[in-house]
Amino acid sequence: MKALRSPALGFLMALPPVLLVVAFVGLPIVTAALFSLGRTDGLNQVIAMIGQNVHKPEAGQFFTIGAYQQIFADVRFVPDLVLTLSVTAIVTLVVLLIAVSLGLLLKLRGGWLPNLLTGLSVVPLFIPVVIAAWAILMFYAQDGFVRSFLSLFGINGPTWGYTSVSIVLGNIWTSLPFAVLMVGSGFQSIPDSMIEAAKDSGASLIAVIRRILIPMAGVPITIATTFTAIGVLGSFTVAYFTGPNTPQMLGVELNNFFVGFNQPQQAQVLAFVIFFFASAIAATYVWANFRTAKDSGRV
Amino acid sequence: MSIKFNRVIAAVAATTLAVGVLGLATVAEAKTTKPINKTVHVFLSADTNIQVLWEQKLIPAFVAANPGYKVDVVLDLHGAHDAQTTAKITAASITKKDPGYDVLDGGFVPNLGDSALLVKPTSKLIPNLKDVPSTLIDQGHDGGIPYRGSSVLLAYNSSKVTSVPKTFDDLVTWIKANPGKFTYNTPASGGSGKSFVTTAVDKFTPAADRAKMAADYVPELETNWAQGFDLLASLNPYVYQKGVYPTGNAAILNLLSSGEIWMAPVWSDQFNTGLDNGTIPNTIKSAQITSPSMTGGAAFLGIPKASPRQAAAAKLVDFVLSPAGQEIIATQMNGYPVIDLAKVSPTTRGKFIDADIPHLRAPLFSTMGTDLANQWATKVPGK
Repeated sequence: MKALRSPALGFLMALPPVLLVVAFVGLPIVTAALFSLGRTDGLNQVIAMIGQNVHKPEAGQFFTIGAYQQIFADVRFVPDLVLTLSVTAIVTLVVLLIAVSLGLLLKLRGGWLPNLLTGLSVVPLFIPVVIAAWAILMFYAQDGFVRSFLSLFGINGPTWGYTSVSIVLGNIWTSLPFAVLMVGSGFQSIPDSMIEAAKDSGASLIAVIRRILIPMAGVPITIATTFTAIGVLGSFTVAYFTGPNTPQMLGVELNNFFVGFNQPQQAQVLAFVIFFFASAIAATYVWANFRTAKDSGRV
Repeated sequence: MSIKFNRVIAAVAATTLAVGVLGLATVAEAKTTKPINKTVHVFLSADTNIQVLWEQKLIPAFVAANPGYKVDVVLDLHGAHDAQTTAKITAASITKKDPGYDVLDGGFVPNLGDSALLVKPTSKLIPNLKDVPSTLIDQGHDGGIPYRGSSVLLAYNSSKVTSVPKTFDDLVTWIKANPGKFTYNTPASGGSGKSFVTTAVDKFTPAADRAKMAADYVPELETNWAQGFDLLASLNPYVYQKGVYPTGNAAILNLLSSGEIWMAPVWSDQFNTGLDNGTIPNTIKSAQITSPSMTGGAAFLGIPKASPRQAAAAKLVDFVLSPAGQEIIATQMNGYPVIDLAKVSPTTRGKFIDADIPHLRAPLFSTMGTDLANQWATKVPGK
């Protein structure tokens, strides 16, 4: 009796969040996909009336890829995509490097310095991104702190405000806390006895890091990597305030098309482009998890 | 772990239930409010200065003059959701449901008027409309009710700029002579930059075509813009940081105030309010250029046809157009009065005697403006 009841109960209890996701995330994705393919009926009727430059299927056709063709042929698309992907790659790499080094330092050396650094790296979590974006812009502006300080020594410092450099710096700032917490806790959960045992058997520090610490914290590191990459891919605020006019991050371009240019269908095409790359990153995450599970014999 | 998880599920379930019950409660409430309703819901698609104008000045004065009325405000900051709002009003009209808003204040109002979704304003419904020039009412496209005016001015740092440009050509000459000291915000992100870009393309657009572009969506006339975009692109090396166009009207005012740039197009009301508050130093002054001048015009209110509380809404709009309401707009946010200046106080009259709103150069039709912003983005920055 009990065995029979609990799956049904479990299903019922899981139902509200599932319904919530289906209604507020699943359905909009389906209507958006249909709209991007030219279906302007049903729930898309009103937005198609208001939007400019809406592509509709020709008579007898069910779909059109006109909006996709327009975006892919747009002079802005390729530079935007290149910028978005390179910013994502650079930020993820730097964030990961900092998070792993801090985590290792904390695990292997301990003491006040790594603790202080870890504490500092979590600060961005408590500062709203809009405020941070403005601060970053002011800091690296033509009359900002960096240039003012360097000019004291007669050095003509760089102006990074309104360039892609400030997008990278801003996104590192916003992505750091999650990665540091995730990777740090991954390293902390490894028993010290394993490191000591390896050292007793004559393993060098590099060998301990490469063959024990990194592999054993593999899952948290993968999670930190994928979440950072997906977050930067779809980021908006920092790039909106501090980025250059051209090229722009896809998230900002999406907003331009939706609000500034009143082309909702094209904005949704851009959303699906971001979605496509985010899914690719998510797929590597699932694959990595599956491989770890397979290695440890759980699958 | 499992207990904790169950708790989470229970919490989610409780929240879902609560949302559902609240939803039912609002539906029930909406159904019981059938008799004549003295509650007016105002929707603002604007910046915080407009929110302050309504919440702290206009509404308290209206309620004091008309006891029993209740007005609440919904703000969509910077009009970030204009497309959704337009969709909501349109959908409410199609399905004949209450849109939830009775008075609309935003840039999209004339477009709604064009789509026949707004109540046509008459002197019978809104008596004070008789004091508003008919040319202004016509700009509202069958439904937009003009209630304040503003225009885009050329602001300059008087401690750096010795001879202020008088014409558009003078301005171009000045920009080239003072590299890095001029910029404007991207036309997609704010009206002051959009007005400057409009002015640049208008220089090469025949007057007859331009008149059509202010009144309607005529994309075939956009070929007129090519020369203007070429001119703007040629200015890139002389603009702030060799071609940086910041996001939003406020970013421009910041650059002007900090002395980073010496000249820029700004909104008259935003600029004068900044001067009054001291956020803009008084060394920054403003002027208007000619041939062509920068654009300006009225801001419009609209009463959705689908609103079940039109009488109360008209009463509020009538108050806004009264001499008392116009006085509040003039003193609170330096908005140009739209009624006959003989009806406002001598101080206000003196301040706005030169602001000839009916004859300001009208902005492009809203959908033409979005096309302009789109084409500017491909043809000017980085070219």
